[in-house]
Amino acid sequence: MASVSFSRIEKSFGATKVLHGISLHIADGEFMVLVGPSGCGKSTLLRMLAGLEDIGAGEIAIDGRVVNEVDSKDRDIAMVFQSYALYPHLTVADNMGFSLRLRSERKELIQSRVADAAKILNLGSYLHRYPRELSGGQRQRVAMGRAIVRDPKVFLFDEPLSNLDAKLRVAMRAEIKALHQRLKTTTVYVTHDQVEAMTMADRIAVMNEGRIEQLGEPLELYDRPANLFVAQFIGSPAMNVFEGLYRNDFVEALGARWPVSGLRAAEGQRVKYGIRPEHVDLAAAGIAAEVVVVEPMGAETELLVKVGNPAAGGQTLTLVAHGRSSIGPGERAFLAPRLEHVHLFDAATGARL
Amino acid sequence: MTNRKLLSEAKLWLVAIPVLLWTLIPIYHIFLFSISTKDSAFSGRLWPDHPTLRNFGTVFRQEHFYLHHFWSQIWNSLWIAVATGAITLAIATGAAFAISRLKVKGGRTVMNAALFTYFIPAAFLAVPMYKAMGTYGLLNNRWSLVLAMVTLASPYAIWVLKQASDKLPWELDEAARIDGATPMQLFRLVYLPLMVPSLVAIFTYALLLAWNEYLYAFLLLSHENTIPLAVGLGHFLASDDSPWEILMATALIYGLPPAAIYYAFRGYMVGGLTSGAVKS
Repeated sequence: MASVSFSRIEKSFGATKVLHGISLHIADGEFMVLVGPSGCGKSTLLRMLAGLEDIGAGEIAIDGRVVNEVDSKDRDIAMVFQSYALYPHLTVADNMGFSLRLRSERKELIQSRVADAAKILNLGSYLHRYPRELSGGQRQRVAMGRAIVRDPKVFLFDEPLSNLDAKLRVAMRAEIKALHQRLKTTTVYVTHDQVEAMTMADRIAVMNEGRIEQLGEPLELYDRPANLFVAQFIGSPAMNVFEGLYRNDFVEALGARWPVSGLRAAEGQRVKYGIRPEHVDLAAAGIAAEVVVVEPMGAETELLVKVGNPAAGGQTLTLVAHGRSSIGPGERAFLAPRLEHVHLFDAATGARL
Repeated sequence: MTNRKLLSEAKLWLVAIPVLLWTLIPIYHIFLFSISTKDSAFSGRLWPDHPTLRNFGTVFRQEHFYLHHFWSQIWNSLWIAVATGAITLAIATGAAFAISRLKVKGGRTVMNAALFTYFIPAAFLAVPMYKAMGTYGLLNNRWSLVLAMVTLASPYAIWVLKQASDKLPWELDEAARIDGATPMQLFRLVYLPLMVPSLVAIFTYALLLAWNEYLYAFLLLSHENTIPLAVGLGHFLASDDSPWEILMATALIYGLPPAAIYYAFRGYMVGGLTSGAVKS
């Protein structure tokens, strides 16, 4: 087990700069998720840590040792690929034991390590099969087994669940998390799926265009997004955001007065008002809106409502109400945002106010 | 719908039948000659009155003037073909691996050069090759033909193997690198096993190319003990009164190994030459 630290990492592909000085410290045993839209540089960062990509500038250290010039195989890491990257001509057992075989370990040792990993991953009865004879989820487990067998200092995951169907993804998510809790190996996990990030991470680094937008624990990111990008990236359904003018105790937007608490901006400043769908209640009085769509999901109900004069650029907001709602499409409703959950962002810079 | 299907089927047959006849009639002709006696060979019948296997006995026992070295010549053919196949395979596999997987500098240049040489007709190179072999003192040595055939077979072989290599998922190399594989281990433990279909196809291609070669064999080898059977067969035509029935029997024997090899590896030939033939 080990800590990982990136300091001022830069990387360009040709004329395109993809990483702009990333610094990030991952603690021993931590499960760090790098999340962001495609092209944000998260996979490149991971591949640099794996030694599959040259480090443009800056330093990467594993367990305090700078590994910039160290070969992949000597970095003591294991990686799980999106495409599994299993050796098609080897059985499950041989796939998992491959790294040990390369190190010319004793047969008995390889067998016992493979058996241990197979036990953890419930792959015992598949050891003599070939990858092509396995389902997607099983293949992904073999890929993880291959990583476990090595007993590395750091696990690297590169979008490991993207090739799986939705149901399996949820199951594997839990499995990976349980695995981490059991092995306590430092893990760097790359995904574009914010749900994976939220559910699995100890800490999340939200990346965008080669920069870390915010680094923090999942709920910290959810509750106090540092800027508009994080606010809109984290959370599903996404946060409602609209532009308005800041007045002393409310924001004037969409033809209504949206309440805010405390003094957070200058009078008359252009701001973005953000409120998560579950933080808007339906009330007897408040901001008038028209219900457009009602999506009952059992435990909760998602409502799409229209606020403001449609001709003057009214906006559709999403609401999530606990339990069931008797309201129907076309009906009028009054919105009451919960004061303590209102987010304000600078309209120009997107920074949290 | 059915009519149109029938029509396209009919068109297909219209092409297929002449092509089939075009291919089969000469082979049948050879077969017919080889089971005929000397007198009836030119009778013009579709089946001889007294079919006989005596001609084959004559060939196997080397009982004819032109056949005194039959066994050593067929051994030469085999030796040259296998050596050409093996050396071409080694060169092309190494080149394809280095260019496709290790991304060595200058790989593109090598590929372009290979493509360029592929366009030069073999006959064009015959004289320079003769000169070169003479300089190295290899004339009349089986190695001269092997080296010449390797030269001719390699460009195509490198191209095919490079294309097939490119189709292997790149993540496999990365996974192997992280697993701790050196380039040689990657080559031996991951690359070669996955390339087997293409390797078989290329080996067969080079082997058959050398087995079927006449021009270079004729030029580079002249001693009766070093020439392959293809050239030996040519000698039959040296006299006015050629023993056609024995020539054809020998030719039939000569044609069997390639047919057998092709039949055995037909799956690899089609799959291996047209694609990477590897499921990831």
